[in-house]
Amino acid sequence: MTSPILSDDEKPVIVIRGLDNSFGEQIIHQDLDLDVRRGEILGVVGGSGTGKSVLMRSIIGLQTPSDGEIDVFGENMIGREEDEAKNIRRRWGILFQNGALFSTLTVAENVEVPLREYFHFSQTLMDEIASYKIAMSGLPADAGPKYPAELSGGMIKRAGLARALALDPELLFLDEPTAGLDPISAQNFDELILSLRGKLDLTVFLITHDLDTLYAICDRVAVLADRKVVAVGTIEQLLALDHPWIQEYFNGPRGRAAARA
Amino acid sequence: MASQSNIGKGDDNAEHCYRCVGTLTILRAATTDRELAAMDDGMTIDLSEVEKMDTVGAWLIYRAVRDRGAKITGESKAIRGLLDQVADADRPVRVVPERRGGVGGAVEELGEWVAETGETFRGLLGFFGAVLIGFFNVAKRPRRFRLNAVVQRFDVVGVRALGIIGLMTFLIGIVIGQQGAVQLEQFGAEVYTINLIGRISVRELATLMTAIMVAGRSGSAFAAQIGTMKLTEEIDAMRTIGVSPIEALVIPRMLSVIVMMPLLAFFAMMMSMLGGGVFCWVYLDVPPLTFIQRIQEVVPLTDLWVGLIKAPVFGFIIGLAGCFQGMLVKSDAEEVGLRTTAAVVQSIFMVIVLDAMFAVFFSSVGWA
Repeated sequence: MTSPILSDDEKPVIVIRGLDNSFGEQIIHQDLDLDVRRGEILGVVGGSGTGKSVLMRSIIGLQTPSDGEIDVFGENMIGREEDEAKNIRRRWGILFQNGALFSTLTVAENVEVPLREYFHFSQTLMDEIASYKIAMSGLPADAGPKYPAELSGGMIKRAGLARALALDPELLFLDEPTAGLDPISAQNFDELILSLRGKLDLTVFLITHDLDTLYAICDRVAVLADRKVVAVGTIEQLLALDHPWIQEYFNGPRGRAAARA
Repeated sequence: MASQSNIGKGDDNAEHCYRCVGTLTILRAATTDRELAAMDDGMTIDLSEVEKMDTVGAWLIYRAVRDRGAKITGESKAIRGLLDQVADADRPVRVVPERRGGVGGAVEELGEWVAETGETFRGLLGFFGAVLIGFFNVAKRPRRFRLNAVVQRFDVVGVRALGIIGLMTFLIGIVIGQQGAVQLEQFGAEVYTINLIGRISVRELATLMTAIMVAGRSGSAFAAQIGTMKLTEEIDAMRTIGVSPIEALVIPRMLSVIVMMPLLAFFAMMMSMLGGGVFCWVYLDVPPLTFIQRIQEVVPLTDLWVGLIKAPVFGFIIGLAGCFQGMLVKSDAEEVGLRTTAAVVQSIFMVIVLDAMFAVFFSSVGWA
């Protein structure tokens, strides 16, 4: 339910202003600004080493930026106490690039970890929630009692997604969800994210290299280059810009092939 | 602000009506679950005043309908969509792999254990063979010998262990001397403390303690290193490039423990006798020169051979167990830990068993 004073629908879910990130001498981000609007799927693209993952890690608090402001759900995230941050963390889910499933737990137990951490549900209810989350993520029922080492790459991504969705998040971070998947699995994954977004009212922050994913599901695309977000917009809007990297990216042979699809 | 769901007795048609107001999300799931459980079967659930619902809320409502014959009224289109969605995803999923309980389960587990142990022994035999072939190949073509890798292992396994092994055996020498002196004093035979220190250090304890320390330091490291390389597919990559992992990883490690063990054991003997000597000097007033003379008289050379012959054999066991367990790693990080533990436990156990067999052997050949 929305607050009567502040209309949440108008405010972006993530607001980043003047973000600086550097590792020693190497400057990753300088004065980076970005808004993620409620309910959109924002694709984040950029060449290797432009700091896409660092940007995500800064937002979710795994990396403390050198300078700048990051607001998520209207709350400032930097320098926040762990206890306060927990209330915000509960409202987002993260799919890491390699799944990051806990290797000593089964898939179903992995999904139950966030539930256990934040709520005191009966074991039956937790098992039921884990079951339907696993089904929603497109995994077969027999995947529940399997350990991550027994899963294929695509199943690991789906299991990671099931865990990311465990707490019914409002905001979903996906780090290269379709990387390493065959084209059919990748397409299924795109469709899955699109349908979940529609049903669950999600906002999605999606890092990807996959041009097909960009065309298929992203509402807007943010381009990281030259240490900042050089452009944000729909693909049509981006194509109208004459930034060399953007032109090369979308008008290269792969870009054109994805546009035709 | 978010209001709450609450129980309301229906005043119009149904006798048992559960009216949800405001938010029905994961935050209120535990309460809602309890409240629904307290209602009678066949209740009516009024969703007309729900403003926000998520899949957990939808699941609870869906479950009440499925299992308890509840009826829903007043749901909006969005809520109907959510309910349909969880209904689609209603597939019971096992959380942990199936385990049979009772006698059947115990028998099954025993069988699995026996089969696994048999498999491990077969694997060990195969690995032992592969290592021998590896040694043979390297001997045949010395250019394939990886001198750098071996020398580097010498440093890690041998030189860097000097400090801890020296300190440990020095203290053990003192303890042997002190315990021996207390007992032998009762017969006025404390001068025999020197015999005790010399013979037990050289013949048994120095080699044994060194083996235990090397198993803990290096055997575990071998298992963890090779195990992690298995997980990251480095070993598969080696194989495909045509590098034999046995020759590149196992032989240098085995060779380093086999060569370093006698050297470390000799060092340990010296340190142990040094500890004992210091004790005798301080406690029994035996001057160092006299102590050295006595040691030369009472410790036969065969004792030194007994100690030194055992050392490379123990080294071989430690290296074999460490590398073999590392190679067995297949699935995940936890297995690396388990295999590392197994490598240390097995090598220490095997070292002690072999030590007992050596003791019997050497006394029967007259090297008492």
